[in-house]
Amino acid sequence: MKQEIIYTPLSSLRHPKKLLREMWQDLLASRELAWRLMVRDINSQYRQSLLGITWAFLPPIVMATGFTLANQANVIQVGKTDIPYPAYVTFSTALWQTFVEALNSPLQAVIQARPILAKVNFPREALIIAKLGETLFNFAIKIFLIIALFVWFQIPVTWTIILAPVAIIHLILLGTLIGVLLAPLGLLYQDISRGLTLITGFWLFLTPVIYPVPKTGIFGTLVNFNPVTPLLVTARELATTGNLSQSTAFWIVSIITFIGLILTWIAFRLAMPFVVERVG
Amino acid sequence: MTYLIVENVSKKFCRNLKQSLKYGVQDIITEITGKNRNSDKLRNGEFWALQNISLQLKPGEALGLIGANGAGKTTLLRLISGLMKPDTGCIKVRGRVAPLIALGAGFNPILTGRENIYANMSILGLSTQQITKRLKDVIDFAEIDTAIDAPVQTYSSGMAARLGFACAVHIEPDVLLIDEVLAVGDIKFRMKCYQKLAQLREQGTAFILVAHNPHVVLNVCESSIYLAKGNIITSGNTADVIRAYEDDLNMVTYSESESIMYLPAKPESESMGVDITSLCFKDNQSEIIPTLISGQPANLAIHCKAYQNVDNLNIGVIISALSGQNERILYITSASDNELIQIQSGAVEIQMQMPYCCLLPGLYNAKLYIKQGVQSLDIVQSFRFAVKANQVISQSLFYQPHTWKVTNTPSS
Repeated sequence: MKQEIIYTPLSSLRHPKKLLREMWQDLLASRELAWRLMVRDINSQYRQSLLGITWAFLPPIVMATGFTLANQANVIQVGKTDIPYPAYVTFSTALWQTFVEALNSPLQAVIQARPILAKVNFPREALIIAKLGETLFNFAIKIFLIIALFVWFQIPVTWTIILAPVAIIHLILLGTLIGVLLAPLGLLYQDISRGLTLITGFWLFLTPVIYPVPKTGIFGTLVNFNPVTPLLVTARELATTGNLSQSTAFWIVSIITFIGLILTWIAFRLAMPFVVERVG
Repeated sequence: MTYLIVENVSKKFCRNLKQSLKYGVQDIITEITGKNRNSDKLRNGEFWALQNISLQLKPGEALGLIGANGAGKTTLLRLISGLMKPDTGCIKVRGRVAPLIALGAGFNPILTGRENIYANMSILGLSTQQITKRLKDVIDFAEIDTAIDAPVQTYSSGMAARLGFACAVHIEPDVLLIDEVLAVGDIKFRMKCYQKLAQLREQGTAFILVAHNPHVVLNVCESSIYLAKGNIITSGNTADVIRAYEDDLNMVTYSESESIMYLPAKPESESMGVDITSLCFKDNQSEIIPTLISGQPANLAIHCKAYQNVDNLNIGVIISALSGQNERILYITSASDNELIQIQSGAVEIQMQMPYCCLLPGLYNAKLYIKQGVQSLDIVQSFRFAVKANQVISQSLFYQPHTWKVTNTPSS
């Protein structure tokens, strides 16, 4: 006997057990679909392009070149960094971009998939997971750039580098958390995607990407309250010196991210039928 | 066992976009906080797109949804596929529901046909293994053998639609929701689609079919629902439902609850000598038959009142399909049959006897005339009748009477 699915007007939260069971089933069901979608997106992303995966390398290099030149000319004043400045900027930019990608991709995914969302009932989780995979794939390409950088600048590494991926995954999950939270709203209102572009531009300046972590002033406080700071700094420190300056903040943000991610997932599931109803 | 039960389902919509989005956010917040949406009440600016709809679907059943644009047909299909939540009532689904609404949903123009088959069919819920197994069937069905490794953007629109249809029907779902997609492709491909649908149905797949062309519904579904402004107007036997729908469309003004059509008597002064008084179909036992059955005998009985003896009467019967393009299907005249009809004054019954009704199931209109030489004596513009079938013949263009015979030659 096949399982019966019942649709009623009542909130799915009334049956939390059933909701959790469905979430688990959909997560399992979306594995293969997510893989398909990821392969499809990555394939089509690079097929109509001459430079192909070079596009993953270019932004951090361009950014690093710009800031290095500005730094050398004393146009901007950044403090002393643990590793040579060009490597510092390139590595941090790669991390930051991965975060921004994770942040933007859930919204992009649902907007792209809008015509199918309105017509086919498939596990919506697959869209998010596919984009998560794409973010990881793009970061994996950037790793080659980072390795080349480390070799070129002869940056010493410690054994902690094998833990760096953990911090990077937490960073990606934080971006995903915010992205998934905004995705249903962003499908309803275009303001969300516009606002997101604006905010990420500003957010970059509150994150120690092109400068080391400031210790004093209002700016220092702002940067330290930025949840991205501990994740990004820890990832960078694990990959280089191994001396962790923000491990407490790192775990606080990580735990909030994990709990938040599950709650956001529930909210996303509950919200999607209403969004599809309005935009389909 | 029932695949689908819809009980008292209603759905409301809002025409104003800004307001609709605002209500959307409100609904999301109440849903997330676990409160009651009070969805059975209309808010300012909302209207019922569907109201108190109930239906059931069993394996192998085919249900037609008929109605004008905006009647709520697509909304009903979307509720059944679980894309949105009902505002009242409940929907119970057992088994896999596949929408044939989204032909080529998720086709990426840059990727090849093959890659798109994988993506499309996994969105519709198949595993990679299952897709690989069916890949050849899909390609064969879509008839794009040579183009399968070319990007979909190089396909003609017909090819893309064929590929989409091929993907959807090879999911082999329990319930297939078909929303006016059968209009794609050329006539040859359409016939193939119907064939495939008939085959799925034999395997137990249930259908809900939405079509503007009632002829399509009549060929596929025994029972139908006529929706107007979100309400069920009539449901039941497809031919009756279509009649109700067409009556509402003012396509035909006369009700066909009776199987005999009586024509108003004319005073003798207006008569041309022979008047048709009534029309009906009779079987070989002279019993009146309300609907014709493909392959069965049917005799068109024309009752006349003659004021004089006529010995060279010519009777013409022109039958056209009511549904579809109103194409003329038959043009029969007694004169071209070299049949000289002689009648005497008084009441006469003339029969046009058809040993086999070769028409396909559908609604038809017969136009009749009686002539003497070139002079027209009486004309009936419209006599409507329905044809049903006892067996599935919807894949044929007409009914061919036939028998089978086996001759064995015993080996010595």
